[in-house]
Amino acid sequence: MAKPRVSFHDFTSCEGCQLQVLNCEDELLGIVGAVDIVNFREAIDEKSDEYDIAFIEGAFTRESDRKRLEHIRKCAKIVVALGACACTGGLNVLKNFRGIDESMKKVYGEAASWYETSPALPIEAAIKVDVKINGCPIPKQEFLEVVKSVLAGRTPQIPDYPVCVECKLRENVCLFQKGEYCMGVVAKAGCNAWCPSYGGRCYACRGLITDFNKNAAKDVLAEYGLTLEQVMAEFRMFNGVFPVAEPPADGALKS
Amino acid sequence: MLPQILPKSKFDEFVGSLSADNRVVAPMAKGPAFAFQEVQTPEDQAAIRMDYDLSILPPKKFLMPQRETLLSFGGRGPENVQPQVQAKPTVILGVQPMDLHAIATLDAAMAKDPADPYYQAKRAVTKIVGLNVAQYANDYQFMADMDTLDAPASGWDLFLTDLGDRWFVEVGSEAGQAMITKCAGFSPAKSDDHAAKVAFDKAKAAACSKRLPYDARYLPELLANSYDSLLWNAVARRCFSCGSCTNVCPTCYCFDVQDKLGLDAASGERVRSWDSCQLRVFAEVAGGENFREHADSRLRHRVFRKGKFILERTGKPGCVGCGRCSTHCVAGISILETFQQIADEAAAEI
Amino acid sequence: MTMTMSNPASASPYLPRVATVAEACKFTPKEAWFRFEFADGQGIQYAAGQFMEVSVFGVGEAPISICSAPGKRGDLEMCIRAVGDVTNALHTLQVGQTVGLRGAFGNGFDMDKVAGKDLLFVAGGLGLAPCRSFILDALNHREKFRNVTILYGARTPADLLFTKDLEAWAQRKDSTFLMTVDRGDENWKGNTGVITTLFRKMPKVDPANTAAFIIGPPIMFKFAVLEALAMGLRKTSIYCSLERRMKCGLGKCGHCQIRNVYVCQEGPIFNYAEVMRLREGI
Repeated sequence: MAKPRVSFHDFTSCEGCQLQVLNCEDELLGIVGAVDIVNFREAIDEKSDEYDIAFIEGAFTRESDRKRLEHIRKCAKIVVALGACACTGGLNVLKNFRGIDESMKKVYGEAASWYETSPALPIEAAIKVDVKINGCPIPKQEFLEVVKSVLAGRTPQIPDYPVCVECKLRENVCLFQKGEYCMGVVAKAGCNAWCPSYGGRCYACRGLITDFNKNAAKDVLAEYGLTLEQVMAEFRMFNGVFPVAEPPADGALKS
Repeated sequence: MLPQILPKSKFDEFVGSLSADNRVVAPMAKGPAFAFQEVQTPEDQAAIRMDYDLSILPPKKFLMPQRETLLSFGGRGPENVQPQVQAKPTVILGVQPMDLHAIATLDAAMAKDPADPYYQAKRAVTKIVGLNVAQYANDYQFMADMDTLDAPASGWDLFLTDLGDRWFVEVGSEAGQAMITKCAGFSPAKSDDHAAKVAFDKAKAAACSKRLPYDARYLPELLANSYDSLLWNAVARRCFSCGSCTNVCPTCYCFDVQDKLGLDAASGERVRSWDSCQLRVFAEVAGGENFREHADSRLRHRVFRKGKFILERTGKPGCVGCGRCSTHCVAGISILETFQQIADEAAAEI
Repeated sequence: MTMTMSNPASASPYLPRVATVAEACKFTPKEAWFRFEFADGQGIQYAAGQFMEVSVFGVGEAPISICSAPGKRGDLEMCIRAVGDVTNALHTLQVGQTVGLRGAFGNGFDMDKVAGKDLLFVAGGLGLAPCRSFILDALNHREKFRNVTILYGARTPADLLFTKDLEAWAQRKDSTFLMTVDRGDENWKGNTGVITTLFRKMPKVDPANTAAFIIGPPIMFKFAVLEALAMGLRKTSIYCSLERRMKCGLGKCGHCQIRNVYVCQEGPIFNYAEVMRLREGI
């Protein structure tokens, strides 16, 4: 089999996830041996439209980006959404709740009309995505898992269970027990409980697990003293694109 | 061998004598909680907390680690497959009675035909120094009901009771006896030592009262009657299905097996890791059908395993009353409370 | 201080044996049949209804029913549907290539327990694979049983499995074979309709003296069981095979557990009374 040609693309993001790829120092040489990297702005100068696997970083937040995304989709056999911005819209979605006009004014002031923007969305809103590497930033090991799995022709092993699982396996003291709160109970694992292991709370940057218990999220977080507004703010941080983060009419969390 | 006395001043010497040819693990503080950790340095040794109340994870992590390699492979075919059975001689220091009972449960489950060679290899080179407790760690515990306040008759090597300035050390095996003879600090217990130990256990029994409204021998039958209860739905309303209850449980042993690839995307390792019946996909089959799709059926399954199934399969308790599942449940779901409620359910049915 | 136990390969029930693909045949785009021979020459003994854990290293392991005639032999057959990573990878296997096999696992079923009875086999879709093991056993020892009836249903003519066997069974004078497809095509001249419609077309059985083996997807099982019960069959004489995600096959990992039953050891073959008692079986 010829080496798969790999391409990196960036949209609205901080490009920190591509940096995470470069941070795979120990493994990078092995990876570079197994694939041909044809586009990677952060690391190489070449440019090519011939590639098998496209890693796309960043949110879809300009209508004019749709064409570029569609072009990448056409060129690539496998499209991988790289990081929270590409997978869920990430932090960018916060502006959707503030109102686009207000955000524009705040960021660009008088020059707002010079710029194009639209509500931030995951790239899935424009093109089909085959694999998602969640996280802000992505965990290195998951990038490697995806590359190895694509090479081996298998589905990457990406968990769809809460961060609590990994947190317990690391025997961390639960943040709730320390009187704090944490989104780990509803957030997708795969980061090896990165933030809680260093004392920070989980913001669910890797998205929400399938079919999480909304009743529990509402009732239990309230018992820990969170108002509904605070709960919504937690959900909006990285998961504003999901209906659960929309303002509730009846005081209940939606799915 | 008759019980011995180890002055507390000699405790460090004792731990040092164990370290000579074993990995020694012991309870240490972890934030406001406790965890069994390896004793590697003099600082670690000083950090041993024989007064700990409850460890986050039970000592099962040394017998069945969170992640464990079953075999390694060189490629897709079965050639070049090597079984990997790793077992380090280990002394687990400070295992409380309920956790000794839990290890007995794991021993029985893993010995059940066909026996698990990975568990048994570790168990065979693990020595256990038990530790008596004086009181419950919190309101979730109910060892008195589950008959796990005192150490089981066997399955440990030494068993320590804190008598203030000295340890009362019972000897449970030849390996335990060898540990005594290796350290100069021990001397045979005298009559006042025995009396103090009896007083300790009496005080413990008085402090740790029963918390179930019924004798625990009725638990399996009460659970059987509760199968169709609305209780499971009511409790599951608060359940995040996060799996913390099973991950901290000293008798849970379900696992997943996955192939982990090396950088060549061909060679790698087959790894088993703790899994939880509370996770949504646990009972899902390849076609997509999920036989415990809803949280209430998963929660009921766990409680039935704890109160009924494991006992019926192994003859050893599936729940030792340690309260870890409840202590670590963000939603505060308490297995003690559930066990209490099923009695009322049964009464309401009549 | 680390000690690696030099465990003899055979001592670990997690260690697969090497088997070679001796024959392979693609039945449909999704289902392929394989005959595996054990490379160690030690052969295998298994009963109808048992399953193997099949390894593709780097991808994983999957539980697959044996579909060949039971007994002590040097090979075994499996019909594998490509539904996941492991089974997709298995579909790429060529004759001469090797796989890892563990087993046989499960209770299996001794056909001598139903000697002297009428036998009714009801197989839906891929359920024919495990059911074939029972059918071949019965037909190989035809003299032990009274009437033998085989019902088989597939979605379309293109989905039919084991077509050579189906032809052979249809030719037999000592047993009845009926099949149906949910939807026919222009060339299909046989029965159409769900498998339960065949119950009306088959010869009468002596209900008190009949053992039925109903193997197929849960929805088919539910309706076929109703037919069998309506015919007067005893719950304890209706057998099925339960599908679960057996990860270890050793009664340990918990994935296949239904209540207090480990399907990988106490199953996968249960009678309907047991399935009813389990409540979570189907």
